[in-house]
Amino acid sequence: MLLQMKGVEKRFGGVTALRQGDLEIRAGEVHLVMGENGAGKSTMMKIIAGMQKRDGGAMIWQGQTVDFENPKQAAQMGIAMVHQESLLAPHLSVAENIFLGREIPGPLGTVNRRKMLAEAARLIAQYGFRLQADWMVGRLSPAGKQLVEICRAIQNGTSLLIFDEPTSSLSEAETHEVFRIVRELRERGTGVIYITHRMEELRSVGDRVTILRDGATVHTEALATLTRDRMIQYMVGRAVNSIYSREPLPPGEPLLTVTGVSTPSLLRHVSLTLRAGEIVGLGGLMGAGRTELCRAIFGLDPVSSGSVEVAGRPLALRNPREAVAAGVALIPEDRQRTGLARDLPIGWNVTLANLDAVSPGGVIRHPEEERVTREAIDRLRIRCENGRQRAGRLSGGNQQKVVISKWVNRGARVFLFDEPTRGIDVGAKVEVFAVMDELARQGAAILMVSSELPELLQVADRILVMSQGHLVGELPRGCSQEDIMRLATAPPESGDLLQ
Amino acid sequence: MIKRLLPFLALLTLFVTLSIASPSFLTSQNLSSVVRQTAVFNTLALGMTLIIISGGIDLSVGSIVALGGLGGTMAMAKGVPIPLGVLLGIATGLLCGLLNGILITQLRIIPFIVTLGMMGVLRGFALIISDGMPVHDVPKGFQFLGEGTVFGFPFVLVVLIACAALVHFILEHTRLGRYVFAIGSNAEAAVYAGIPVNFHTVAIYALCGGLAGLAGLIEASRLSTGQPTAGQGYELQAIAAVVIGGGSLRGGEGTVIGTLVGGFIMGLLANGSDLLGINPYVQQALIGAMIIVFVAVDEFRKRRVPS
Ligand SMILES: Nc1ncnc2c1ncn2[C@@H]1O[C@H](COP(=O)(O)OP(=O)(O)OP(=O)(O)O)[C@@H](O)[C@H]1O
Ligand SMILES: [Mg+2]
Repeated sequence: MLLQMKGVEKRFGGVTALRQGDLEIRAGEVHLVMGENGAGKSTMMKIIAGMQKRDGGAMIWQGQTVDFENPKQAAQMGIAMVHQESLLAPHLSVAENIFLGREIPGPLGTVNRRKMLAEAARLIAQYGFRLQADWMVGRLSPAGKQLVEICRAIQNGTSLLIFDEPTSSLSEAETHEVFRIVRELRERGTGVIYITHRMEELRSVGDRVTILRDGATVHTEALATLTRDRMIQYMVGRAVNSIYSREPLPPGEPLLTVTGVSTPSLLRHVSLTLRAGEIVGLGGLMGAGRTELCRAIFGLDPVSSGSVEVAGRPLALRNPREAVAAGVALIPEDRQRTGLARDLPIGWNVTLANLDAVSPGGVIRHPEEERVTREAIDRLRIRCENGRQRAGRLSGGNQQKVVISKWVNRGARVFLFDEPTRGIDVGAKVEVFAVMDELARQGAAILMVSSELPELLQVADRILVMSQGHLVGELPRGCSQEDIMRLATAPPESGDLLQ
Repeated sequence: MIKRLLPFLALLTLFVTLSIASPSFLTSQNLSSVVRQTAVFNTLALGMTLIIISGGIDLSVGSIVALGGLGGTMAMAKGVPIPLGVLLGIATGLLCGLLNGILITQLRIIPFIVTLGMMGVLRGFALIISDGMPVHDVPKGFQFLGEGTVFGFPFVLVVLIACAALVHFILEHTRLGRYVFAIGSNAEAAVYAGIPVNFHTVAIYALCGGLAGLAGLIEASRLSTGQPTAGQGYELQAIAAVVIGGGSLRGGEGTVIGTLVGGFIMGLLANGSDLLGINPYVQQALIGAMIIVFVAVDEFRKRRVPS
């Protein structure tokens, strides 16, 4: 037995994050930890990795009771963690981040940069990541950062490696890469704890599952015998319909018309039309330009040519303010960084993009704001004490929900959802889909970027596919995952280039 | 809750201790002199609260004190009526703040650098327009602003409370205030939310400048001269008041009440050491040390009780 957690407790002020955390990890197993947003998964992992101290219960590491004062002590024992929220230094390079805190020394107390760069490059090459050792971390996408975190965690002799939702921002290919690493570690006898909300990815990688609900361990079982439905039942505590299916509406008039949009960096002559009442999926590999397209429409990135119209009116594409005024909403991919004001109350975050609605004449009506906040909390089942709690104190998935509420609350006409279900639990995913459906029924047009193919197939009325900055095709409802992958991996047609 | 309580308790403790330690402390004469002495940088601190919550800083307010005071007194010396002179002084400050805001948002240079530069520019400007000489020719009635009394209270207290109420209202109850918090907490999220970040940034620097202009008039009124060298180092006192009152230089945190409490703590420390005959050199060191102690305790508390 590598690790035993017995009745572990953790409180934050008045909030009990963990009441009865039990967990047993054997050497050489991949152990999945599952549960709803706010169930206490990350909290338990942070305790194991020495980032937080437990308030009660026992933690036994290789037969000995341990108390870690800080992550360094845990690391010395061979415990490393890949975090849910990126904990990297944005102004340092990939190599410097990988070796942060254990720099390779040079002469006279200096740091041996050259060796660190070489060593980092070797690691990156070994795992086949699309990274460069000298890139600045602040410039990386969420997925890129995740890869750096992984490099950082696996490079020292670890006997227990914790992945807290490592693949939530990764593409198919990179996810497989992570799985390969996980399998490799397992073969070497390393214990792996793996947290995820993506049900379909578990089977290929896990051995056993532990399920947490409301801060307590409710079940542990071998993955082979645990059905999907029972797993969800343990997580939610009741039967849940996790399969969402949507009845498409007859599409109305065009709300968003993108014509030949190119950007200096990536996009090449992208054209598409979204109609009222439609949910259009946008698939493709990471780096295909899906996020870039959303950013360009929203006025965040400069556009070199092309035009965008919202309900027949040209959009200036200069800054987000004009996009918002025209009725466009972007639910960004990197929600922690670009969406959440961590120090501010949940309620303030929820109303931020639509403050005018609760502040006629510039003066905020607090009761009205509280009402809107309560509605948002109920609607997406945000797990919190009340709307005055700081948003940064919520669990990762609940933070995501706050950002989604912010935009849903605004009632725009065109919604760009960039990976809307990333990091969100099964129950809430269905809620998010229901919200999208409701928006569409109210006459909005929705573009939904998702790397999770089953989700696209379930929700979208039709699916557009991008590859290398080009829009390479459109698939009808009822197509297969293979159809999407074929388009996404094919090189863009040359004719397209000449448009 | 504890957050609000801590500076309050400190102020209360200080007050009680001084009342016991010195018989001349709890006299209306001494207390009004504390109010009058602290009025200038308390007014500055109100504007600074807005700026600091937005994640910025304004180092030029000390120089604006001089320029605002000069603007008002020079006009009055030329025969402009007192109320108009006061308005001119405030407008001078407002313009300086507006310039700060425009430079920060248009040149995209961080506020520290812009206002550091402006601190020099505006001070130089004050010296140039006055030729380095104080303006003595001030109407008698102008002294009422800094030295006058209404219903037994110093008139500056009334002015300060009015300004504090205004800034408090802006912060807690208006869209502008909410945006100030949002910009200070996560500027990128504010941009994504479609908030006119530049507009609001300029607005608060202008407001801060206007308050600094008013502070300059109070100073000029108390000295009954317009001094081109007035207000030197006041920016740091104002920042200290905000920080002691729970404002965070990282942005997104701070309250008007806290700032005022912070300002009065500094005022009482100075006054108390005077009364107790503590040598002014020691006084300086003492106040400096207190700033560190306060912020350290506050940080410690934040780490222990996350709520
Ligand atoms: N620093 C903190 N201060 C206050 N409450 C906290 C803090 N960290 C976590 N919590 C609370 O503890 C509970 C469990 O959080 P945790 O992050 O462990 O959830 P999780 O299972 O990882 O959820 P997710 O799937 O959303 O990542 C949540 O209710 C959260 O609000
Ligand atoms: Mg988590």
